[in-house]
Amino acid sequence: MAVEALPRSPRANPFARIGATLLDVLQVLGEATSLFLASVRSISAAPADRRRFVVQMVRVGTDTLWIGALLSLFVGMVLVVQAAEQVRDVTQDILGPIVGLAMTKELGPVLMAFLLAGRAGSAMAAELGSMTVYDEINALRTMDIDPVRFLVVPRFLAATIALPILILYADFIGVWGGAAVVSLDPAITITVNMYFDRMLEWVHFSDFVVGMLKGTIFGMIASIVPCTFGLRTRGGTEGIATSTTAAVVWSFILILVFDFLIVRITFALD
Amino acid sequence: MAEAARERRGVGVELTGVSKTYNGQGVLRGVDLVVEAGELLAIVGQSGTGKSVLLRQIIGLEQVDAGQITVGGIALERYRATPHEEKSFRVAMVFQNAALLGSLTVGENVGLRLRERGRQSEAEIAAIIHRVLEQVELAGTEAKLPSELSGGMRKRVAIARALAIDPELILYDEPTADLDPLLTEQIGQLILRIRDARGTTQIVVTHNLPLARAIADRIAVLAEGRIAECLTPAELPHARHPLTRAFLRASALEA
Repeated sequence: MAVEALPRSPRANPFARIGATLLDVLQVLGEATSLFLASVRSISAAPADRRRFVVQMVRVGTDTLWIGALLSLFVGMVLVVQAAEQVRDVTQDILGPIVGLAMTKELGPVLMAFLLAGRAGSAMAAELGSMTVYDEINALRTMDIDPVRFLVVPRFLAATIALPILILYADFIGVWGGAAVVSLDPAITITVNMYFDRMLEWVHFSDFVVGMLKGTIFGMIASIVPCTFGLRTRGGTEGIATSTTAAVVWSFILILVFDFLIVRITFALD
Repeated sequence: MAEAARERRGVGVELTGVSKTYNGQGVLRGVDLVVEAGELLAIVGQSGTGKSVLLRQIIGLEQVDAGQITVGGIALERYRATPHEEKSFRVAMVFQNAALLGSLTVGENVGLRLRERGRQSEAEIAAIIHRVLEQVELAGTEAKLPSELSGGMRKRVAIARALAIDPELILYDEPTADLDPLLTEQIGQLILRIRDARGTTQIVVTHNLPLARAIADRIAVLAEGRIAECLTPAELPHARHPLTRAFLRASALEA
């Protein structure tokens, strides 16, 4: 007996799959952009939500402070060890500038943004995802309470304000981590004073400004993207897990994309 | 007395040809239903037949694909678009899983909408919270978190949250799902007390026919996306629709 072939699902076609993925990506970007705009529009109501904002600031801080310190300390130390080996035959004078510039302009912002997205961001996606799945968001809507103002804006503001502060903190600890290696490692011939003197010659206020600008933008990404995924969660526990993972991956990708764009734009403006 | 209260507090609801489709599949296929002001209407039907969808349409969480809904004589879209302060009546919904905000205490959950409106003093809000929690027999639980309560208590807190805004219409989505018969009766009694004391219009979606029979003024049976029949509890034994008769047989077996 002849067996009739089952109709192929459109998703089985590679072109259809690519198209569907592209549409998904555009939809997520569109939703994130519209949530960002809605959050900005709702910021004027923030003073009335001081308590929720403070709670989120504390959460972001406690989620990232200790692990951020550890991360920055070791990154600063590794930078000095690695760079010292590379420039051994030239001059170790540039160790201070290498650590200072790398931490303020690149590693501080990106590492702390990753940390914020990975810890606080994933918590935001999971919390909002659970609230969506269990009808808490709908309950807010039936009470005429705007979920964006009530839930997203405090998280958005907390991450956007906290990340630049966390970056300064990471820069400080990373630079001192490097200094510790300079003072203790016998393979390094420069003094700690030289390390800092050369760093201060090379690192300018504008470098901090770039770091802060990145921090502000990355803070927006690390809060809006998880909130977007949280609010679009469907299905039960599995849906929450999927949203949380997707929120972290998307946040990392967008942070790197914006990092590249900011670097290109700031170099073009120099 | 109860009749007078009903006239004073409730608003009517009218659905005309309400349809809703998900992924090409019609869930609601032209629902026509009139709920009188102050009436307690139960909507029964099998799981997955669109009972909850119907409630979500009535409160405006989802838009209808076709048809019209009026609440208190006002088209739903116009009511939803009206600023909160200008609304002449209030609608509340009690969700199947209570949908209390887990990070807020019972008191904060119950007073949430009042605090968000910011038109009453903290003392007034605290008094309202205390009063409605007393009505659902949960006075003294203000400081507890929802996670510290049983399923039945959470449902009653959700009802208290609805009562806190003094609504003219309350929608219940499976208020007794996952509750044992004693708690089911407790919730049923509470819904009856609300009707008698306030005259609030109440629509209760349930698949628990004995509960519907015990509390409702009328029972609407939802089948194949339409209201198959609408009966008073007294008319129920004479129901003609096969689904209603099947429900009756099943509940008789259960009893």
